[in-house]
Amino acid sequence: MEKNALVANNLTFTYEESSEGISDINFSINEGEVVLLTGNSGCGKSTLLKCLNGLIPTVTEGDLSGELSITGTSYSELRMHQINKIMGSVFQNPRSQFFTENTTAELVFPMENYGYKKVDMQKRLDELKETFGIHQLMNRNIYTLSSGERQMIALASAVTMNQKILLFDEPSANLDYGNAMLLGQIIKEMKNNGYTIIVADHRFFYLNGMIDRVLFLDNGKLKQYDSEDEFKSCNYDTRSFDIFSLDIPCRKIINHEKVIASLKNVSFKDILKDINLEFHKGEVTVLVGSNGAGKTTLAKLLCKTYKPTQGVVDTNELPFFIMQDPDYQLFGTSVINELTLVKNDLDSIKSCLRNLGLLPYRHKHPFDLSGGQKQRLQIAMATLCEKPLIIFDEPTSGLDVYSMHSVVGEILKLKEKSGVLVISHDYEFIRHVADRVVFLDEGTIKEDFILTKDSVSNLNKIFMHMQEERCNEKVED
Amino acid sequence: MQGVMLVMKSLKLNPIVLILINIIAPSMYIFINGKYLQAFLFVFASMLLILMKRFKSLVALFIIYFSMMGIYYMTVNSEKLQFIGLFLIVLVQSVPCLALASILVRKYNSAQLLSALETIHIPRVLVIAVTITLKYIPTFKREFSYILESMRLRGISFSLKHPIKSFQYFIVPQLFRCAALAEEVTAAGFVKGIDVPVKRTSYYEERIRVSDAAVLLVFVTGLAGGFLWKRMHL
Repeated sequence: MEKNALVANNLTFTYEESSEGISDINFSINEGEVVLLTGNSGCGKSTLLKCLNGLIPTVTEGDLSGELSITGTSYSELRMHQINKIMGSVFQNPRSQFFTENTTAELVFPMENYGYKKVDMQKRLDELKETFGIHQLMNRNIYTLSSGERQMIALASAVTMNQKILLFDEPSANLDYGNAMLLGQIIKEMKNNGYTIIVADHRFFYLNGMIDRVLFLDNGKLKQYDSEDEFKSCNYDTRSFDIFSLDIPCRKIINHEKVIASLKNVSFKDILKDINLEFHKGEVTVLVGSNGAGKTTLAKLLCKTYKPTQGVVDTNELPFFIMQDPDYQLFGTSVINELTLVKNDLDSIKSCLRNLGLLPYRHKHPFDLSGGQKQRLQIAMATLCEKPLIIFDEPTSGLDVYSMHSVVGEILKLKEKSGVLVISHDYEFIRHVADRVVFLDEGTIKEDFILTKDSVSNLNKIFMHMQEERCNEKVED
Repeated sequence: MQGVMLVMKSLKLNPIVLILINIIAPSMYIFINGKYLQAFLFVFASMLLILMKRFKSLVALFIIYFSMMGIYYMTVNSEKLQFIGLFLIVLVQSVPCLALASILVRKYNSAQLLSALETIHIPRVLVIAVTITLKYIPTFKREFSYILESMRLRGISFSLKHPIKSFQYFIVPQLFRCAALAEEVTAAGFVKGIDVPVKRTSYYEERIRVSDAAVLLVFVTGLAGGFLWKRMHL
């Protein structure tokens, strides 16, 4: 017996301050289905998600019409708290996911709001600890957890009220390959237990073989595929359900040019042990490894944020570091002003903006740009700064496949003048951009090789290894 | 009996006591002699910090308080530098209160504060507003270090030579983040049922204990002493 979990009829929403939105959305999702919601950046994915969890129209204002119903009841008859008792949300950003800073407080927070008695809270808390294996994570500061651990707390907190429908907003954006595959496994188990699951994401390799329905948004319009196979055979770049079968040509091997930065016998606390690395001009080095392997620490040593406890970090100049969240890196009053802070030469600024397609936005405030435009502004800064080494931290997290390709193009241009170090979990991106791969595991360099046709299998092995490590851990629990 | 005091666990206070004190204390400067109140609050805050075993905060309080007072006494007789001292003597009045507020932010999580505020029956909207504001402080602290680090990497250093420029680079991104953050926090609260119209329960059960009443009693007695002192010196 199939029942409808969510039904939309001619759902339309336009924002008050812009023309963006979604229009004429029709779908019906059955109980127990796994649904993928996807489309390019700016396609209306997050708008639809906000309609589903009730943030539209409760918090975000705009023009809403059409009909939406959950387990047979129309949204118009429900208050936000009634909707969220049936449906749990897992956001990508920890700041919007967690209301408190403490794991235990976070898990009991919804129950307190709904007026549970203390005994009932304790009982439910114990159940959650059991189901998600999070005994060790109780009463800890959420911001000191690893991203995999945080994901487990987010999941547990989304089902505290026994919600049977779950919304995921780009869950893979901050997870390494192993943790993403683990999440896939958990979603599969939940599906078997009768949960209805909606995942909005650009990457979906971890859902391979379990999708019942695909909602594909294009410029606010919906196209529906009733099975995974149907979606795979459409002409959208389905970005590799099976990432290892990708056929991507490797680049020509370049001769090692001059060394621009190096680490000699570097150790840092108990995070990094005896690291020896050299970076070359004209080479894109990709640093891979699980969350918590020490990748960011290594980058911070190069930036002199940390001093090594042993060994020597040798860089002539500070590298340019492109952070994952551009908002921390923008200080100017306009796009042009931002770039004059880097290099006061209007001609080269203009040609750089033209290359990156940012010229029409040159007088805008950097914070008014879209996410992708902000990232291109960061790349513009990197291009102009003429530093010998440029470091990228997860440049493709949350990017659709087309934006990813343009980042690849921009990095390849950058390496003509500098050396590039990229931290990434994104297999497809790595295949497109890497000249060399460095695998960091438990604080040491396990592998360091030039990526050629023959060594692709090495890279695949690393990814398989990361997956096994995670997923076996789960089984042992 | 004194031996018992030494091994006693750190004093647990209902956050509502600290909130009340923080609301009442600053407004008392209107009614009570400033010197008396300042001295009383300083002693009161120090005692509380000792009882709650917040020794780091205690040291910070002493250093800040006495260096500000020191600068005041050093500059008060010089006409050129007098303004610094006069400026500090105004600021120093709020230092004991800030020390108490710091406990509130560091020791209690948002869920505990929410519950405490609920017990004094103020409207839910206000409770949510206050909690979100308090929650912003630790978030700000985290972001502060990110932004300083990012400024360093961009070569835009926070220097005292160009205070206005540095401040602008620093404050503008903060303001933008503020707006985004407010939206995110609101979303986090709403999907977790912050708008449920029933009385909120609490996992942490902050009851009013004898110790809470005792601390409040000392506080009120101190204030009453202030009124008496004022009358005697009229």
